[in-house]
Amino acid sequence: MGQIVFAAAAPHAPAIVGLFDRAPPDSQKVVKETYAAITRELLAARPDVLIVFANDHLANSRITLYPDFLIGTAARHSGPHEWFQEWIGCRDYSAKGNPAVAKALFQGMTRRGIRMSTRDENLKFDDNISVPVVLTDLDRTDITLVPVLQNCTVPPFPGPEKCYEVGIALRDFIERDLPQDMRVGLFGSGGLSHEPGGVKYYKIDEAFDRAFLDLCVRNDHKALLKDITVDRLEAAGIGGTAEVLSWFPVMAAIGERPGRSFGYTGWPSFRCGVGGVIWDLDTRQ
Amino acid sequence: MAWEKFNPNLAAHDLVQDMKWDPKLREEFKRDEAAVLDRYAMMPEERRAIEARDFRTLYDLGMHPYLGGQLSRFIWGNDAGKGAIEASNKLVASLQGHSRDIPDS
Repeated sequence: MGQIVFAAAAPHAPAIVGLFDRAPPDSQKVVKETYAAITRELLAARPDVLIVFANDHLANSRITLYPDFLIGTAARHSGPHEWFQEWIGCRDYSAKGNPAVAKALFQGMTRRGIRMSTRDENLKFDDNISVPVVLTDLDRTDITLVPVLQNCTVPPFPGPEKCYEVGIALRDFIERDLPQDMRVGLFGSGGLSHEPGGVKYYKIDEAFDRAFLDLCVRNDHKALLKDITVDRLEAAGIGGTAEVLSWFPVMAAIGERPGRSFGYTGWPSFRCGVGGVIWDLDTRQ
Repeated sequence: MAWEKFNPNLAAHDLVQDMKWDPKLREEFKRDEAAVLDRYAMMPEERRAIEARDFRTLYDLGMHPYLGGQLSRFIWGNDAGKGAIEASNKLVASLQGHSRDIPDS
């Protein structure tokens, strides 16, 4: 059976790379400390594969035919996609993929009643995968990457309960379908509150963000599913805040283990609340 | 905008997604916007809203806000610094009908 050895989640707002130098020191500190801790603990956990749940920003499929979970099965995952290079202002990368695990995930989730899709070609990555890869230098490690691009923005998208169900199936897949002793890392990429392209583009819902981070640190699943509804997510920023649904498969897969956060910033020019969580896998509540 | 106005049928969505995927189309849009718009089966009011940079009307017709934000970048600029700031400032000003409460940086 495979084993989950690392679990974390954090925002991927492009401005935490592109506008980092202009941010106030307190905001820089949150970005730096969050991703430094994620990088340090990811490397220490020595996963063979990192499965990243991250929302697709309408970059890979027509809005009229939009998959809810799209697994990248390519042997390499390179980015950022051409159009996004100028926007994000980060270096190019090419991370090792893991077609075997990606395809096993597709088959395993299908068997467990979870509809996913796959694509063999290099998916078009914007901030969703590029920010965590570049900030952790994942492409400069031996850790392979399996991206799962999630629909968090084209209604009707899978809500908290469905994403939680995906996480339960994911845990079963890792434990039963993956090879003996395979070490698996899980990462949820997205959030916190923001409304990309909306009238509240510069508004951040700090109260929501802080309450959400607190729930994730406690990782109390009953409270999480009760308090975090689609309506609440959309009230905190239409079309953006729901990206935190990519954290749900991770939290469901690891069970109710507590986590640690590394501060929070709501600097308006990030156009996104920023704070992350690493969960402690050797502690069960 | 709330999702009840969202209309996935708008041809403007195809326009924006095509521009994301095709640098030549982006160049042509900058050079001859009308010729590009001619190739998309838009409602007259949808096309007028794009030509007038009237994002409020475009969103009321059902434009997805994420793709609306990207359209603003094709029009005003996409780089991580100045261009994107100008794009998002003008987009928000159009949506809210005034330029108040928009940060400088």
